[in-house]
Amino acid sequence: MKYLIKRAGFMAFTVFAVCALTFFLMNVIPGGTAELILKHTLIGLEESATEEQLSQISSRYNLDDPLYLQFYWWVKEAVLRGDIGTSYIYNKPVLYLLTLRLPATVQLAGASMAIATLAGVSLGIYSALQENRISDHILRIVTLFGVSMPGFWIALILIIIFSLKLKLVQVSGYGNLENLILPAAALSLHSVAAVMRVTRTSMLETLGQEYIRFAKAKGLPVWKIISRHALKNAMLPVVTVIGFQMGNLLGGAVVIEKIFAWPGIGSLLVDSISARDLPMVQGCVLAIVTMFLLVNFIVDILYTHLDPRIRYG
Amino acid sequence: MSLLEIRGLSVEFPAGENAVKAVSNVSFEVEEGETFGLIGESGSGKSVIGLALLRLLPESAVISGEVIFQGQNLFSLKPSELRNIRGKKISLMPQNPAGALNPVLKNGLQIEEVFEERRVDKKEGMKRSLKLMKKLFLTDPEKLCTLYPHQLSGGMRQRLIACMSLSFEPELLIADEPTKGLDPEAKAGAVDLFTKIKKEYGKTMLLITHDLDLALEVCDRIAVMYAGEIVELNEASKVLNTPVHPYTKGLISAQPRNGLVPLRGQSPSRIKLPEGCFFNERCRCSGIECSKKHPEIKKHKGGWVRCHFQSLQ
Repeated sequence: MKYLIKRAGFMAFTVFAVCALTFFLMNVIPGGTAELILKHTLIGLEESATEEQLSQISSRYNLDDPLYLQFYWWVKEAVLRGDIGTSYIYNKPVLYLLTLRLPATVQLAGASMAIATLAGVSLGIYSALQENRISDHILRIVTLFGVSMPGFWIALILIIIFSLKLKLVQVSGYGNLENLILPAAALSLHSVAAVMRVTRTSMLETLGQEYIRFAKAKGLPVWKIISRHALKNAMLPVVTVIGFQMGNLLGGAVVIEKIFAWPGIGSLLVDSISARDLPMVQGCVLAIVTMFLLVNFIVDILYTHLDPRIRYG
Repeated sequence: MSLLEIRGLSVEFPAGENAVKAVSNVSFEVEEGETFGLIGESGSGKSVIGLALLRLLPESAVISGEVIFQGQNLFSLKPSELRNIRGKKISLMPQNPAGALNPVLKNGLQIEEVFEERRVDKKEGMKRSLKLMKKLFLTDPEKLCTLYPHQLSGGMRQRLIACMSLSFEPELLIADEPTKGLDPEAKAGAVDLFTKIKKEYGKTMLLITHDLDLALEVCDRIAVMYAGEIVELNEASKVLNTPVHPYTKGLISAQPRNGLVPLRGQSPSRIKLPEGCFFNERCRCSGIECSKKHPEIKKHKGGWVRCHFQSLQ
């Protein structure tokens, strides 16, 4: 319990720090916020923007106040009333807009994570059992390719092959399982490779342990030795890497969502940054950071279930 | 017919272009009901013999020779036949009890699995094991089963391992350095343990150790190993009280209680073994012949000795 409180404190601090960083960095980008907002509201009539209109907008969003005060008000509203601002562009509460986009991102990141875990772990085990045979070498070369290629490039190649040439799936779209295949594949490839490599190494190390030999000496069949004795021990570093991969997935999702026009938080973030929609950017970052922290929190809890020697106090 | 017959056993581990000769041409027999000791310094190849018997060495090891157990050659068995012998007819008590127990599995499960794949009732088996645990000085065995290995002391772990190895009342018990890494008190406990195992079960035992006290206490016959081969083999009391081979003599006078006189030099490189006697360079009584010709093992006063000058010793 004490651990949980401590942990929650750390998580809150991390969220605060990330929000502060985003806030100040966004304001470093050149170009006045008020002008940009005005341009978005007066499409086609940009030239007619007057000084009066600019100052009107500035006072409405408190843009003339010093930055630290702006940030202070934002934090105060967020903590006291759960209000993390209103989008300049959409003119709607940020929280509401996030809830619209969240399911798509959770779907994409979740599917990618599932692929990374299932494919990565099983291929890793297979590769470890086939150590130094030809299939192991092939898998290792493929994964080297996997960790080296950027996700957006893979995405484009996948689109060219499966959508444009083979015409198996649509280039983009959202709503059914078929639409999910390409983005999830492109997003997860890097993680599959990373998880596979760690699983292989960790599995090989575990298989060399004395308790594995003793289990053999007890007369247990190979599959029981792997599933019962080796897997649980080998999973510790793998679980850590899966937790970190969540960060990669969410980061990668920003680009991948844009490529596949996937209506998630990632593409919302990209749009908001180019429109200088500060509250919206702030909200997207907040959502992504929270998801990442939650997944890593779950990973840490998983540790204690995998290894009884680990206790948090 | 002897229970176990080892004929010309050699084990090599490939290391780059060379091979490390861990065991060269070892032959001995273990009679039914006898406790046979293999002694020698670290790296003399004694543990490798124990592991080779149950085919527990890594796949890279090159093994030649024959191991006949109850008329069957263990090296020509199919994996399923081998599993029926492992843990049931021949069981191994591994060195390093801390490493031989799987840290993430409960003790109970690790005992229970001895009875898996055996066409016996697990519950019946567990009852026997619990009784055995009590006999082996483990109090409150039911509670021990619900704990994890890291919650036990070193001595308790060793007795737990002994219990696992004996649960099936194997015809042959291979105990690999049971006193390695134990403090003096636990060591004394181990001597009690083995005397008890010997008395109560009267089973055949192959005791691999560098603990001469334990060997003298429990063994009927002893083979002394040096650089991968047997240099002396005789009744335990004869080997340890009136040693013939210069190496055995050196080993005994290196005991703390005999004045801690160290053997000079180091054992030879196992990649390129000397042409003559392996012990030649460290021997206090070597002659010209010793550096030229490798001595054969010869009968001497009821035992066997590998020395050119055995009649003079």
